[in-house]
Amino acid sequence: MMHARHAHLMSGPLTTALVAALIALPLLAGNYLTYLTIQILILSLFALGFNLLFGYTGLLSFGQAGFYAVGAYICAKILLVQPSLLLGVGGGTVAAAVVAVLLGALSVRHTRIYFSMLTLAFGMMIYSVAWKWRDVTGGDDGLVGIPRAPLKILGTASISLSTIEHYYYFVLVVVLLGVFFMYRLVNSPFGLSLQAIRDGETRAPFVGMSVTTHRLLAFTIAGLYAGLAGALLPPLENTVTPVMAHWTTSADPILATLLGGIYVFSGPIVGGALFIIIKDLIVRVTVHWSIVLGTVVIILVMGFRGGVAGIVAGMVARPRAAPAPAVASK
Amino acid sequence: MRTWISSVTVVLILLALIVPPASVGQSTCQLNVPTIKLGVQGIASGAHADYGRQINMGATLAIEEINAGGGILGCKLEMRFMDDENKPATGVKNARFLVNEWGAHFLYGTDSSGIAMALGPVLQELKRIQFFTHAATHRLTEELVYDKKIKEIVRVSAPVYQDAIAAWVFKDNPEIKRWATIGADYEYGYATWAIFKDVMKKSRPDAEFVGAAWAPFLTLDFSSQIAAVMATNPDAIIATPWAGEAVTLLRQALLMGVFDKVQAWFQAMGGSVDVLEGISREVQDNRFKGKLWATARYIHNWPNTQINRSFVERFQKRWSRLPNYSAETTYSAIYITKLALEKAKSLETDSVLAALNGMRIPTPAGLRVYRSEDHQFVYNVPAGRVVWDAKYPIPVLGDLVVIPANEYWRSPPFTAVPVGK
Amino acid sequence: MDIIGYQGLIGVSLAMSLWLISAGLTIIFGVLGVINFAHGSLFMVGAYMAYTFYGLLGFPFGLSVLLSLAVAAVLGLIMERGFLRHLYHLDHAYQLLLTFGFVLVLDDAVKIIWGGVFKIPPIPRFLDGAWPVFGRPFPVYNTFLIAVGILVGIGLWALFEKTWWGRVVRATASDREMANALGVNVPWVFSTVFMVGAMLAALGGALGTPIRVAAPGIGAAMIIQAFIITVIGGLGSLKGAFTGSLVVGILSAYGTLFFPVFELFFSFVIMTVVLLVRPQGLFVHSN
Repeated sequence: MMHARHAHLMSGPLTTALVAALIALPLLAGNYLTYLTIQILILSLFALGFNLLFGYTGLLSFGQAGFYAVGAYICAKILLVQPSLLLGVGGGTVAAAVVAVLLGALSVRHTRIYFSMLTLAFGMMIYSVAWKWRDVTGGDDGLVGIPRAPLKILGTASISLSTIEHYYYFVLVVVLLGVFFMYRLVNSPFGLSLQAIRDGETRAPFVGMSVTTHRLLAFTIAGLYAGLAGALLPPLENTVTPVMAHWTTSADPILATLLGGIYVFSGPIVGGALFIIIKDLIVRVTVHWSIVLGTVVIILVMGFRGGVAGIVAGMVARPRAAPAPAVASK
Repeated sequence: MRTWISSVTVVLILLALIVPPASVGQSTCQLNVPTIKLGVQGIASGAHADYGRQINMGATLAIEEINAGGGILGCKLEMRFMDDENKPATGVKNARFLVNEWGAHFLYGTDSSGIAMALGPVLQELKRIQFFTHAATHRLTEELVYDKKIKEIVRVSAPVYQDAIAAWVFKDNPEIKRWATIGADYEYGYATWAIFKDVMKKSRPDAEFVGAAWAPFLTLDFSSQIAAVMATNPDAIIATPWAGEAVTLLRQALLMGVFDKVQAWFQAMGGSVDVLEGISREVQDNRFKGKLWATARYIHNWPNTQINRSFVERFQKRWSRLPNYSAETTYSAIYITKLALEKAKSLETDSVLAALNGMRIPTPAGLRVYRSEDHQFVYNVPAGRVVWDAKYPIPVLGDLVVIPANEYWRSPPFTAVPVGK
Repeated sequence: MDIIGYQGLIGVSLAMSLWLISAGLTIIFGVLGVINFAHGSLFMVGAYMAYTFYGLLGFPFGLSVLLSLAVAAVLGLIMERGFLRHLYHLDHAYQLLLTFGFVLVLDDAVKIIWGGVFKIPPIPRFLDGAWPVFGRPFPVYNTFLIAVGILVGIGLWALFEKTWWGRVVRATASDREMANALGVNVPWVFSTVFMVGAMLAALGGALGTPIRVAAPGIGAAMIIQAFIITVIGGLGSLKGAFTGSLVVGILSAYGTLFFPVFELFFSFVIMTVVLLVRPQGLFVHSN
């Protein structure tokens, strides 16, 4: 069955307007809103990587938080001895990608539920290590006192990012680049191959593509994006704690993507924004945020199964065949 | 329709941008603000939700009383409570919201040590003082205040030092030599065991530390830990799991015949109201054979002063419950703020901190004395045997052992606590 | 030696607690193909219900447990009929998300209804006390747990092997379309299976009340262990869940005795090894 090509929601002018708004944001909004938008940007990156694996390749990972935490911890360790932002963020991202390749090699041979369970196990193993290895990771206290290091470029210029506004622009640039690369990737032959593999697993190898290699690449890139997202956090928050590797953290990009729409490129981004904004608005009003958020999730799942962005994209695009449902089996 | 999603998102962001209209300034307020805003955080969801609630109740009571009395320097107090979900990321986000969006002048609360440690540097960035009212880690004051000089941290509640009073309670019992621990499997448990051993070795050089078993957060079954520790034949056990886990642990220990074998069991935060409620029936039936001892960070039945009795009475009238320690510490923190502001006549951080120097303030828990080296308020909390007293609806600590805090609390200059297992 | 034997027995009683939760989880997965994140919340509801009937209303303990099962069955029916049913034709992810939504709702609902303080009733008389095993006092309660676990195991075996319902369920589990073609009311099978799973979870929660507090979110710790066990044993296999529970329970008990440092990590390592070497689990035959 032919699968729907991922719908595109964002047109050129719309994207430009949004980027312009994001650039102007710190000038118009207060400190807190800028901080909140940084969180949205980071979650968007995290979810975008996740959805490469899920929406495009058909693999549901419960362990992305493991790579997120690796990125964060390595960045933190680097910044604690060598306060150079690029070194920290870069180092964290590379470390996460390396761990992703290693764990991916073990995981991608399996599919569906076994893949999901494996990734859950790996993520929680990273969590256990972070919690127990006090000498290196600080144990349950985590690492504290991480500096918001300046941006040192080739040993010449050094730009201080100590204010929230400055750090915001750094994150914005990184995330925009990340979104751009992901966009090019999913629209490349590689991206199309992934979707073909997702839809017709048995057919793909006959067409001459190595299923496992493709999946491993997707897994590594997803891990890289998770690590990058994680690495952007320590300079912002000054601390990293083991809960960053917990499966409940892995749930964030899953929720965000499902809310925004799996089969839409901008789904994870829209979903990330909605998830954070909705929760933020709820906790301003009531301490019982959990029941409200849970109800919202249930309503969205029951009512809008394509996710919010998915519905809109569906209305926008030409009618296409509905996505092929995964076979419900053991 | 194409732009629907983006429009909605932008509108939502704009909504959040709208500045609420400033309320008409009170002409009576000498601090030139419409109200003094107090931001409060605690765990209000999950298994430890009652501790956040107690913080909320204590704060609310204090604020209602102060406002009824005319406020502070003619300024009314306004409070906002948020759930930190026991997660550092949430605690930090809430602090930023409370200060930057809502305009909090001071912050209060925080049960979790992990959140407290994450908040420290953020408080420095936000330039706001937080009065910590539960988080017990020694690192908050020893490292962040004393070493790193983050001045925006003040702790009103007794830290982990209090748990080591156990070493003094049994100092003169020669038959209690072999100690074991069933510890909370994270920093609080390790630190308590380390500090306890340290204090114990000074008062009883013959003490032996024969066993340790560790239980992760949210353990639902302690039988393996209890069995492992009992296999080492201890004379006494010190246990750090708290809240619901403490009750589960004590129940299982009872069923496993521990209280027939050991001489004593010290439940670190066993003096907490929720724990005492949970073991009520067993205490009434004397199942613990008088061997269960505990302390807390405040107990409602000590000291027997007017200010404490009156506080407990008003708290019970307002909330139909006895005040837990986190309620008292938060209540006192707000009165401490009042005293400091009346002295400083300013909301500036440095003025308020200067006003704290040398502060000795009577509170329900007793006289609290400020220690400016590490911004820690020092006060006495007794340890006691868990007993049934017909005057109260739940068990209380009796046979109280009162030791001046200065004799067993750590004080500057600080050496590192060897925290490891 | 006595210590080792005793600790092993403790591990078995621990395992029986885990078995009750895992049984429900694996049955639901085996037949419906659904991973029920809300399983831990049903465990929690079972605990609260037992506390309410036994501790607050004063009903006998056995009756309280049965009533808790009834409540869980109703709740399970609502969850499956009212919500889950509409998502079967979609990707697994939506079912997961839905059950996650249930967790968020239920965890807060119990807090709103019963308050945030944990609840625990007095210990039932007949479960109090201990008797000497390996020279140390072994609680009657832990013995009771082992007995119940074994009985539930036998009961479930009989249910699935010897009853008409069990045959229908097994047929549906192995080939849904064929069963449908043969006239089996598949939606009804799904509903009843979900209810049985929910009742098992609630049983685990209800039986804990003599020693365990009921508090919001107590299901969260259980659910991860249950996942590990069902994976080790094989998703959909009751024998597997039973064996997996024994493995995790006994290892956990000995781990506390000898290697306090690693328990959680070890469980995940075992789970990973099983997934890599024999992903269908120890007891499920690969097709």
